[in-house]
Amino acid sequence: MSATGILIVIILALSAYLVLGGADFGGGIWDLLAYGRTADDQRTLISRSIGPVWEANHVWLILALVATFSGFPQVYEEIGRGLAVPVAFALIGIVLRGAAYVYKSYGDGAAGPDHLWGRVFAVASAVTPYMLGVAAAGLATGRLDKGAGLLADPFAALTGGLALASTAFLAAVYLCHDAAKSAPGLVPIFRRRALGGAIVAGALALALLPSLPSGLDNHLGRAAPFIGISAAAGVATLILLWRREFRAARATAALAVATILWGWAAAQYPAIIIGHLTVDSASATPATLRATFAVLVAGLVLLAPGILYLFRVFSRTEP
Amino acid sequence: MLPEARAETAVSLAFHICFAVFGVGLPWLMLYVEDRAIRTGDPVWMGLARKWARAFAVLFAVGAVSGTVLSFEFGLLWPAFLGTYGGVLSLPFTLEAFAFLAEAVFLGLYLYGWKRLRPRTHWWTGVPVAIAGTFSALFIVTANAWMNVPTGIKERNGKVVSAEPLAPLTGPNAAPESLHMLIAALMCTGGVVASIYAIGMLRGRRDSYHRRGFAVGLVAVLVCAPLQLVIGDWSARVVEAKQPAKFAALEGLGHSQTHAPVTIGGYYDAKSGKLVDGLRIPDGLSILGHFNPSAKIRGLNVAAPQNRTPFITQVHLSFDLMVGVGTALIGLSALVALVAIRDRRRLGVWRLRHGKWWLRAAALTGPGAMAAMLAGWMVTELGRQPWIVYGRMRVSQAVTSSTDVGWWLGGTILLYCALAVALILILRRMATGGPVTTQPQPELVKVS
Ligand code: HDD
Ligand code: HEM
Ligand code: HEM
Repeated sequence: MSATGILIVIILALSAYLVLGGADFGGGIWDLLAYGRTADDQRTLISRSIGPVWEANHVWLILALVATFSGFPQVYEEIGRGLAVPVAFALIGIVLRGAAYVYKSYGDGAAGPDHLWGRVFAVASAVTPYMLGVAAAGLATGRLDKGAGLLADPFAALTGGLALASTAFLAAVYLCHDAAKSAPGLVPIFRRRALGGAIVAGALALALLPSLPSGLDNHLGRAAPFIGISAAAGVATLILLWRREFRAARATAALAVATILWGWAAAQYPAIIIGHLTVDSASATPATLRATFAVLVAGLVLLAPGILYLFRVFSRTEP
Repeated sequence: MLPEARAETAVSLAFHICFAVFGVGLPWLMLYVEDRAIRTGDPVWMGLARKWARAFAVLFAVGAVSGTVLSFEFGLLWPAFLGTYGGVLSLPFTLEAFAFLAEAVFLGLYLYGWKRLRPRTHWWTGVPVAIAGTFSALFIVTANAWMNVPTGIKERNGKVVSAEPLAPLTGPNAAPESLHMLIAALMCTGGVVASIYAIGMLRGRRDSYHRRGFAVGLVAVLVCAPLQLVIGDWSARVVEAKQPAKFAALEGLGHSQTHAPVTIGGYYDAKSGKLVDGLRIPDGLSILGHFNPSAKIRGLNVAAPQNRTPFITQVHLSFDLMVGVGTALIGLSALVALVAIRDRRRLGVWRLRHGKWWLRAAALTGPGAMAAMLAGWMVTELGRQPWIVYGRMRVSQAVTSSTDVGWWLGGTILLYCALAVALILILRRMATGGPVTTQPQPELVKVS
């Protein structure tokens, strides 16, 4: 009971990381790809939209990690042993992305030109989601022993690509909304990118379905509703983008991406690492599970008003 | 693999802790100066508040990403440790995660809300940042305390079969260790702030902006110094009771004895089981452990040879460094207090002296506190060897079998050195840039 509860909290925290933190990484990807006369303006918009909330967005990852090793310590052990390579690259990306972002924003050029840190920020932003996607493939296939080999695995390349495309898509949709408020000239650019991102992400998701490893496809029935919602939300996002209703598009885009994660979780439940560990075999002692679950729920309830306040204050336009 | 994995752990923890201390201490100082700014309407106080917030944004970000490295790294380097005992440490770490979440959420409001929020509301958003930072230090150190004195668990065949969730928070050394760290963080923050402004004043920038920044930092470090002695002494007595071999290593005591001495400096001679070439203070260790000069102190021989730390000299010298700095700071604290009280009788107001030698002494408090803090960690960590969880799991059982740790170590050192150099350049620019008065909001980028 508590074990499944903790698993749900982990999935929710990962979803929050994906749709909030993921969009921050996606912003970096568009920074990397910015071109044309307005490239500098695009980068400025991206930087501003990441500003106040990136730390808060980042902590969802920490929460998911901590809940994992509290509730399912052996899963953590297996990840540490088997997924070290993609995780290490993701970590380098996380460190460089975060540091480069503040160095660029606050450095005033004291530690090398801002555009240099801007480059570092952009490249690191693209590496991280890709590597996390690759690590996810390790959990879904149970191919943990392959070490660096996972980097060359075609299925892992697809999941990495899907993570990359989804975050870029999310960022583009959110940036449409921000641009509509503060830099209307940039709206068409990000709108085009959002549409393109949606199509690429959708195509990758479709390409994944037939190549699902055994273990995932047995329970595809359970995942079906989520896949359906994801597809519907994706289509709705396209329509909303087309009609320039960016506020609503943000919500449908986030839903489309988060439901992919939920569908995956549903398909492999109760396995946490396919072929290795399940919710029961990996869980900590009952007293620990109860205490962890209670703290997780209480903490989230306690902090919810603060989080909502943060988003409310920064959704108002600057006075 | 073991040496590389240890070195990697030490490098990444030491790097993280050098930023984390500001995450704990600086919010309290920012709250103080911003409160003064709001009460007096004085732009100098506001300038300090703004400047410190900018520095904090950078320090916090580096602390956050290096902390993320740590949480993954414990799994990567010591998989068996987390696989076996991760659940036992669930409460401190989960509470810790919520402290981070609270800190990050309100920090977003604090750093970017100068214009959007009313001044008092803005000040209030800093309060949870400070409280959460403090609690994050307390929680994480209780995890370390549990590794030193593991209580409240039952194991069968190497698997934990029952664990009291509260054990890490209520263990005998949880309170002294975590409070010691908290005070250390406040001392490091106060010291570094005082050092920066002292150096500025030595270079001739003696405006009220520098004088006030200097005073806030110096008072913080000097008020905490005596407190730290009390808690450090408490810590030492708990170590004596619960980790006798570590206590013996502090002073290189090979064999149990009464009237155990304290030695300043020197190195451990394994043959005689004594420290040699140091300055001896008779009965010192017996007093530290029991407040009694003739108390018997257990020597390293209480542990079987394979269960003793191989780093006795390092532990001892680190301990000397920490206590030496602590004592010197208490001395400075007393001196500054005496002179300030006398000056107050004469002038009727509280004033700090700003003479060259006072400033020079103050400039040393920051590096001194940081060195003492790192030395203290050497004492705890090296003194616990060869155990990762004292008496239960050896580091050699916990370590990863991966052969790539050497690469990982080299990469981390390069990356962290580069980040540290860049950060120092940025902070130096901020420190010499004078008050932030013209710049209304920490601007992200030069907006076109
Ligand atoms: C500004 C930093 C600072 C200062 C001035 C002191 N310490 Fe300290 N000490 C620390 C910073 C520190 C630390 C970094 O915070 C440690 C490492 C682990 C911990 O919990 O605290 C520590 C650990 C530590 C330990 C080991 C605890 C353990 O292994 O569980 C002892 C016995 C002392 N200290 C004792 C003292 C004494 C007697 C001091 C006398 C002045 C003193 N410390 C000053
Ligand atoms: C922040 C300052 C800290 C410093 C400078 C530090 C330093 C060190 C050093 C030097 C080692 C290597 C010991 C050896 O040579 O064998 C080490 C190991 C280790 N430390 Fe710490 N430490 C710190 C804090 C912590 C904290 C807060 C924790 C846990 C919550 C921790 C857990 C560990 C672990 C798991 C190891 C590896 C196993 C071991 O050697 O015991 N350390 N640390
Ligand atoms: C004495 C030891 C430690 C103290 C006092 C400490 C304190 C802090 C503080 C105050 C922060 C907030 C960021 C900042 O302001 O710099 C932070 C961040 C972090 N720390 Fe540590 N920490 C310690 C050791 C550790 C250890 C051993 C781990 C991992 C197991 C860890 C994991 C983290 C993580 C994941 C973050 C990022 C949270 C975020 O994104 O805001 N810390 N730490």
